[in-house]
Amino acid sequence: MLSLASDFTTRWHYRLVPYHVTGELLSKNWIDSAIPFLMLFASIAVFGSLIPNLFAVGNISDLSRTVGEYLLIGLGLTIVVIAGGIDLSVGSVFALANLLMLALGGPIGLPLWLAALAVLAVGGLVGLVNGVLVGYLRLRAFLTTLVMLIIVRAVVDTLLLSYSREIGSVEIAAPVWDFIAFGNVFGVSVSFIVAVVLAALAHIFLTRLRPGWHILAVGGSRRAAHNGGINVRRTVCMTYVLSGMLSSAAGIFYAARLASLGNDTGVGLEVTLLTAVVLGGTSLGGGRGSVFKTFLGVIIVVIITNSLIRLGVRSGASSLVLGTILLFAVAIDVRWLKNRHKILARAYVSPTYFALPPLQSAAANSGSPYAINAALSVAEPIGLAEVDGPEDVILDREGNLYCGSRDGNIQRFFAPDHKRHEIFAHIGGQTLGLAFDRDGNLLTCVGGMGLYKVTPQREVIKLSDETNRSLFSIVDDSRMRLADDLDIAADGRVFFSEATIRYAMHDWIIDALEGRGNGRIICYDPRDGSSRTVVHKRQFPNGICMVPDGESFLFAETWGCRISRYWFGGAKTGRIESVIHDLPGYPDNINRASDGAFWCGIIGMRAPAFDMAQRMPGFRRRMVSRIARDEWIYPNMNTGGVIKFDLAGKVVQSLWDVGGERHPQVTSIREHKGYLYLGGIFNNRIGKYRIPGADLNWTAHESYWSASI
Amino acid sequence: MMAWVRRQMDALRGRGEAAPTVPPMDGVLKPNTLLEAARQLIRVEAPDNLVMSSQSILFSSGNTVHVLDAATGSARELRRFDHVVSCLAAGDAGLLAAGLDDGSIHLWASNRESVALTTLGSQRLVCPTALAFRAASTLIVCQGSMHSKPSQWKHDLMQRGASGSVWAVSLNDQSSRKLAGALAFPNGIALSDAGIVVSESWRHRLLRLSDAGTVPMLADLPGYPGRLSVSADGGHWLSVFAPRSQLIEFVLRETEYRERMVRELDPEHWISPTLAPARSFLEPMQGGALRTHGVMKPWAPTRSYGLLIRLDAEFRPIESYHSRADGTHHGVTSALEVGPQVLVASQGGNAILALNPDAQVRGVRP
Repeated sequence: MLSLASDFTTRWHYRLVPYHVTGELLSKNWIDSAIPFLMLFASIAVFGSLIPNLFAVGNISDLSRTVGEYLLIGLGLTIVVIAGGIDLSVGSVFALANLLMLALGGPIGLPLWLAALAVLAVGGLVGLVNGVLVGYLRLRAFLTTLVMLIIVRAVVDTLLLSYSREIGSVEIAAPVWDFIAFGNVFGVSVSFIVAVVLAALAHIFLTRLRPGWHILAVGGSRRAAHNGGINVRRTVCMTYVLSGMLSSAAGIFYAARLASLGNDTGVGLEVTLLTAVVLGGTSLGGGRGSVFKTFLGVIIVVIITNSLIRLGVRSGASSLVLGTILLFAVAIDVRWLKNRHKILARAYVSPTYFALPPLQSAAANSGSPYAINAALSVAEPIGLAEVDGPEDVILDREGNLYCGSRDGNIQRFFAPDHKRHEIFAHIGGQTLGLAFDRDGNLLTCVGGMGLYKVTPQREVIKLSDETNRSLFSIVDDSRMRLADDLDIAADGRVFFSEATIRYAMHDWIIDALEGRGNGRIICYDPRDGSSRTVVHKRQFPNGICMVPDGESFLFAETWGCRISRYWFGGAKTGRIESVIHDLPGYPDNINRASDGAFWCGIIGMRAPAFDMAQRMPGFRRRMVSRIARDEWIYPNMNTGGVIKFDLAGKVVQSLWDVGGERHPQVTSIREHKGYLYLGGIFNNRIGKYRIPGADLNWTAHESYWSASI
Repeated sequence: MMAWVRRQMDALRGRGEAAPTVPPMDGVLKPNTLLEAARQLIRVEAPDNLVMSSQSILFSSGNTVHVLDAATGSARELRRFDHVVSCLAAGDAGLLAAGLDDGSIHLWASNRESVALTTLGSQRLVCPTALAFRAASTLIVCQGSMHSKPSQWKHDLMQRGASGSVWAVSLNDQSSRKLAGALAFPNGIALSDAGIVVSESWRHRLLRLSDAGTVPMLADLPGYPGRLSVSADGGHWLSVFAPRSQLIEFVLRETEYRERMVRELDPEHWISPTLAPARSFLEPMQGGALRTHGVMKPWAPTRSYGLLIRLDAEFRPIESYHSRADGTHHGVTSALEVGPQVLVASQGGNAILALNPDAQVRGVRP
């Protein structure tokens, strides 16, 4: 009674609270931006309430000018940092660009566009020096750019000493120049718009273009990038050139805005921008970061510095605050990077309450239709130690035997004795379900890849790896993670199961611990090449088998221990009815039998201790987080077999290998000319079992494609 | 107060006392297959306690006590009881003692009538797990638990029992004296020069009993220690009847799951240590024990194991004999040194094994 009451509350607790969301959010790449995002809101809230007019229209426009300039420098710095470097010379380059722009456009009198290009070139040149020293000569980025900071600053000071009067005497007077300086488009400054456009371009550059990927790769691991054929030195060098040019661009806007030659121009800018970049979540270690993060960081830093000035804090104190924030950001960066995967590993597996119906006995002397026996222990091995994980097996018209494998092949064993074999096709992902279509093409579900077709000429064609995205799924469920088994309707439509959307192929078994309907069934329509999810939220939907009526199929839900029937045509379209709801084991693939019934592979047996754990999600959650992965309990997959059932749900026969020596788990069965062929996802053989009294002429090919032609 | 807070935090985060860690089998306890490779002297259903009487080798199996002929590997029934024999001891002059599952100890000799003990002092005798004669007139008795029968040792473990005790029973007047109490399943006795040493199964250690209290002799074993028997070199043989594992340690800390498991499930199907390798598809399976390519890994997580440890005179391990997760000689409940051989009762393997320790340690097959 007590446990019933606690079951009730547990069930509703886990039904109402979506615990799985935590892990799914944490596994997103953009979760790195969560902390800066919160900080942005916090700083807006704090300073917005302290300073009355902080977000007035006029002030926003002012802020946007600073943000624009900072963002330009920040972009350059982000690119350098992502590649694993650092550029401290940005402030000096900024000052140099300011000076040169005023000189070239003013006293020297170059056209503004030419002056701007020249300034950009000089910035790029300084960057190139940095890049050659750091990238090609392999000097330390920190020291090199620190020295460059001092040298460029010295150059600026020298030039200022000599020419400040000449430069200051001539003002650049051009409408374009004034527009750049003071013009607003929709209330925001030109520099901001330029910066945002450049940021968008930089985002595309980093995430969509080859050189950008190279930069990320180099930052992630120099050695791996080198081994992957990337020119690491050139890539590193290029980042400094970009940084120099972007700093120059910022200097040009600064020149237009203030036309000032103060010798404190750009002093301390490198710390400000570094703070912005790291605060945004770009990792100082390289390889992780994005333009959007820097954008957030820059806005936070500008709001804070601007607010501190308006609050009347002295400039020294302002640096102190910035420095503290930088320290804080670096600490978060380090701790977060170090612990993110640990948190994820603990939080991702999210068990929920799941109660199976009472366990039916399968004991040897129980008289139950499931009564365990050793029939399959005499199955003849085919391809012993030559196959690795034949999840599904199938025979073609000529009696050749095909199986999938863990190493991404489809193997073919030649009729009649299946002694010789060859690799029929290499696809690349673990090949799971197999089916022949009317024209003799072999269709297969490939874990991690989707639905593929192999023609008799061995051409591999992708049919589907994408379906419609659900509205509220955090995991991107348009991608197929674990296409599992398929069958083909008479009209050519392919119905295939995706066992789970939360785990990839190598982790499929962990899905058992969740007890949630993570899987679905997808329909691929060859007429227009589209895919659409037709059955949602099922517990590891696995085997699919067409019923000969041409308008429905059977499907097995492995962790749910049930077999159901789905109508895709006729009067009952869209209906699902239960066929067997209380199997004592975990069903896998389903296929037709010669007598009109259906075979179903049983991959493992229900164990009472596991069934009980399924009703106690907290227990499983703690188990996952506290003990080693190999120690977790699972359904007992060391005993399995085959059952035969009819459409009414009556189990007419069951074949087991109780000792588990040859077929501890059976994931697939095919009947062909009086024999049963057995596959197992953890096995190193295919079994061949003589079915007493079976039709010696029956083949699945005939059953599927002869009658309907 | 701080200690309480720390315990609560540990329980929440699975650290400290709540961490289900298990000491590794390393050093002297490094796994080998010596026990698995040992010769089966005789196949017999669930052999339990091997003892040497003045004339012969005796062992218990189910309700009966057998006499073993080590030379021919044959056995002859000596006496049959109404209940499972849970422990045996042999004293001088053919005096024998057998503890039964119903909570009684029978004393008899070939020329004497059987005497039954059913109480220890004021305590009821419930769970005799190990017996030993000290001198001619005293019987040392381990009472594993006050609540569970010997055959229900899994219940005692899963209820985190600590109600065991050790008694000295005078054979003259049948008066008994408690030597130690509040033990977590005392389950083996060694009478050494240092005094009485008992194995305390659920706390994975050996304890020396003295008037001042108990002193741990060997602690933090990677399995549950059971019976102790003497070796000719002054040391002892320690039978470790089941392994500890992370999963079981974890379950022991999961009160709700444990209680429901004890209440609702057949002990055969519990997540608990066991004497025999998995026999039924209804038993829980751990991920690492999945049979892959037809093979069970020897290092797979397992609830049963075969382990015999040789201890020196100071009760320090010096050698160990293993039957690993893929083996069958599991559930070692007692060992008996006979000349150059050591006979080992593998309850889970349904066999009495003959080890030749010297030859086997040197890598020579007997």
